[in-house]
Amino acid sequence: MPHPEDGAPSPPLDRARHLKYWSRCLRSLLPHHYTSSDSNRIALSYFILSAIDLLLPDSSTTPLSPSPSPLPALLTPSDRLHFRHWILSCQHTGGGFCGSPTMTLPPHSYSGWDFSSRAPEMGNPGHANIAATAFALILLALLASSPEEAASAFLDVDRTATLSWLRRLQRPDGSFGEVLARVEGQEGLVVGGGRDMRYCYFAAVVRWMLRGDEDEEKDIDVDGLVEYIAKSRTYDGGIAESSMHEPHSGYAYCALGALAMLDRRAGGERGFDALGRAFPDVQGLVRWLVSRQFVYVDREEEDDDDGDNFTFSEQQAEEDPCVAFNGRCNKVADTCYCWWVSGALALLPSVDQSEDGSNVDLLIPRTAARRFLMEKTQHMIGGFAKHPGGPPDLYHSYLGLAALATMGEPGLKEFDAALAVSKETAAKIEAARNGLAGVAKSNRTDEGGQLGPALLDLGVEIRGQRPPWLPVGAVG
Amino acid sequence: MPPKGKAAAKPKETSASASKPSSAPTPPSTISERTQQRIEATNPPITLSSGLSSLSPTEKTLWINSRFARSPTLRAKLGTKAQRDLWRHVNEASLPIRSLAPPSKPITATTTIWGTDKSGRDVGTYTPTQFSERTSKRARLTSLAAASDAFADLRRRAQLRIPDPLTGEDPVLLEADVEAERARRKEMAALRGELYGERTGTYASDPEWDDVTPVALEEPEGALAAIAYPDDYAEAIGYLRAVMLRKEYSPRCLRLTEHVIGLNPAHYTVWLYRASILFALGVDVPEEMRWLNGVALANLKNYQIWHHRHLLVEQYWPVIEGDEGKREEFARGETEFITRMLEEDTKNYHVWSYRSFLVRKLGLWKSAGERERRLVEEMVKEDVRNNSAWSHRFFVVFSDPEQSTEGVGATEFDPKVPGEIVDREVGYALEKIGWAPQNQSPWNYLRGALVKGGRKLGSVKGEVEGYVRDIGGEGEDVRSTHALDLLADIYAEEGDREKADLCLRRLAEKWDPIRAGYWGWRRKMLEADKRD
Repeated sequence: MPHPEDGAPSPPLDRARHLKYWSRCLRSLLPHHYTSSDSNRIALSYFILSAIDLLLPDSSTTPLSPSPSPLPALLTPSDRLHFRHWILSCQHTGGGFCGSPTMTLPPHSYSGWDFSSRAPEMGNPGHANIAATAFALILLALLASSPEEAASAFLDVDRTATLSWLRRLQRPDGSFGEVLARVEGQEGLVVGGGRDMRYCYFAAVVRWMLRGDEDEEKDIDVDGLVEYIAKSRTYDGGIAESSMHEPHSGYAYCALGALAMLDRRAGGERGFDALGRAFPDVQGLVRWLVSRQFVYVDREEEDDDDGDNFTFSEQQAEEDPCVAFNGRCNKVADTCYCWWVSGALALLPSVDQSEDGSNVDLLIPRTAARRFLMEKTQHMIGGFAKHPGGPPDLYHSYLGLAALATMGEPGLKEFDAALAVSKETAAKIEAARNGLAGVAKSNRTDEGGQLGPALLDLGVEIRGQRPPWLPVGAVG
Repeated sequence: MPPKGKAAAKPKETSASASKPSSAPTPPSTISERTQQRIEATNPPITLSSGLSSLSPTEKTLWINSRFARSPTLRAKLGTKAQRDLWRHVNEASLPIRSLAPPSKPITATTTIWGTDKSGRDVGTYTPTQFSERTSKRARLTSLAAASDAFADLRRRAQLRIPDPLTGEDPVLLEADVEAERARRKEMAALRGELYGERTGTYASDPEWDDVTPVALEEPEGALAAIAYPDDYAEAIGYLRAVMLRKEYSPRCLRLTEHVIGLNPAHYTVWLYRASILFALGVDVPEEMRWLNGVALANLKNYQIWHHRHLLVEQYWPVIEGDEGKREEFARGETEFITRMLEEDTKNYHVWSYRSFLVRKLGLWKSAGERERRLVEEMVKEDVRNNSAWSHRFFVVFSDPEQSTEGVGATEFDPKVPGEIVDREVGYALEKIGWAPQNQSPWNYLRGALVKGGRKLGSVKGEVEGYVRDIGGEGEDVRSTHALDLLADIYAEEGDREKADLCLRRLAEKWDPIRAGYWGWRRKMLEADKRD
């Protein structure tokens, strides 16, 4: 929420320019240096579509006119349909979504997939990825043109398979991997990806979106996850992949985001049960998070990438300071940390109960922080760069907008810090979640639902023995 | 019936004047021009632009005679005399008796009866020399293709052991044949590119990969975030998908994964596939590690590389676990590599994470004369603001199983940590604070060490007060905001809330105004504590 005494910040965010940047990303090929993101195209799609969503006016106030819109960023009904099909084409037969069509296979290649051992008969390079799964679900809901339409957004998602895949991604220590694969010479399935707080966050997001509030559905080990996150606390109050590593504001956000998703209730309301269990005392964490801010000073020559971009005396000298954020102590300013830090603060319970203001209002000097983004990393062609003076890229451009939205930028839609999308989209995600949960429930109570196992039992009886490939309770 | 008699003699003059230029044609400058000249030379010099009726009687005769002269079917309908007449007239008018059918549309700059070349240029605009060069290249390509087919046939016969029908000998495929085929494919690929702009990929032109049909990428309409891939990436991915699908674990696949990793190191399954190949072929782990070192140095920010390294270490562990010499050798090699990586990027998160994993895995806490702590100490000496090094030191000192309790949180008191270690670490932090008082890393370390040792913050009050002077007074001076912050906590610990509040107020007002909101909140918390 903007401070009333501040008035509208000036200059205002040039939404048209940013929309132009994002339309280009939406409507034309991305340049070849995105090749290293080829395995995560769903993530890139999320940045593009969610940025456009943030920048466009609220769809409830501007009804879609039948005439073709002059804005190429506006999605037509046929766009919505095609994009939806494309995302669904990345769904993996064994649950979850692959990161890009590169990682999926023609449908016939999946024949011979054994669903109980989750092992393919033949080698199977199509692998679902946890980040892609979270982003794909968000996009399916985002692409619905209204909350009513969103109610059916998840109906094409294989809920049971995805949730069972998700459970298998969890390690005994409570953490999650990104991919499940068979590796020659290794026992069982290898949970790929390092110990990484990002996967914990995505796991909590996917669980919340697909599982609904049903208690009878098998769940991930929530206590294990909370415990793992609790152990990621470091001596200086920050959060890392584990307490033995250096704290990092990206991981801090992911840890708090995961807890926020575990605590999330209907209507975007949240409790603080998981958060309270993992971090009974957040004072040290708040100190560590606010310490990520510093007065940014341009250097003539940046001789060292990691040069300490602060000195004590300069802090005093600046008239209209730019306040930037770093990811770790004594590191350089970077657009994305404006988001990771402000997002993390937004996810903590309001530190000052006596005031109405949010943590972000209280703990971040918004005008100075905004100045850094607007004057230093915003690019002429729209979008934001990682460092001042650099070229814009999808990732930093989206997180720059996310940071501004979290700080209450007037031109942007209100932001849901836990799901990292507009509140409007968050409402659609919730509608999709409820829609899916409703269908799942009616399937369970439906009498026809009992027919499957009954037929199976009949078959087993006729055969006289249970074939080894048929697991107990495979159907139902 | 062709008109008879004298009338036909007349056109001789007109045709003579019309055919004059064609009698001495200028050499054509382009193929299209040559075609035009040939059409003109083989057709009567009459343009039938607006129908037969528009021709003069002599032109009409000439035109009809030329038709009869060319068509045996028509001529068969004439009597012998009429035929003789016809041939006489043809002879006199020197009409062409063979014809090159004129194009249905007149030849213009946009007509492409010769087709276009790879750049879309009309081949008709080639000079005859250029055209003959093109023709011989096409002929060369055809002959190479035939030789290539012969190679494929030979290979097939060699595989199936089909004896030569003449000699009765089994065909043998020599390495030289494969080499020749490789060279041939290369030449064919170059020719195809030159002639038709077709790009033949590295794998498609390599005989070694002939048995693999790449699994092409199919995308439905409305693909999002499509990338303008380099051609070789798209091709390599197609082959990768194919060999992964059939679970081929072979040296050539290892090379293919290397290629794909070079183009897209963030490909999240190619690494697992590579691990499968390595383990299936029993490739030496240290050898793979050496290869990986180069890849890691070229891709400092990549995540997957490090997970691959973890997998390799776990795989190698049983080999070195019981052999101290081997373990020490491995540890030395890895430490060297880490040092090299940190020279490139002193705060690389992945490297430091891997380093802490190695310390735990190999038990490097105090081995080799506390090498780990000394190396990190060197790094802090070089850059006292390197927070990664500070974090690692904290881990090496306070997570050492010999002198710490397992499971105690990083922000909790651990009674197992010896007092002299706490003294040493507190002293170390205080010394480094002296180097750069506004550097937060040692301040955080100091707090962390005090908490671990169960010491009061006030135990360093004297040292900390050295960084501030006369708070709230005339001669107020602050050399470190972190000192003021810590003093606020020390005074609060002592119960002196007024002094604590003063420190926080001065931070908000003067010394650290960008965090004014935070200091204000801390002041409120002091108040709240007082009420409790």
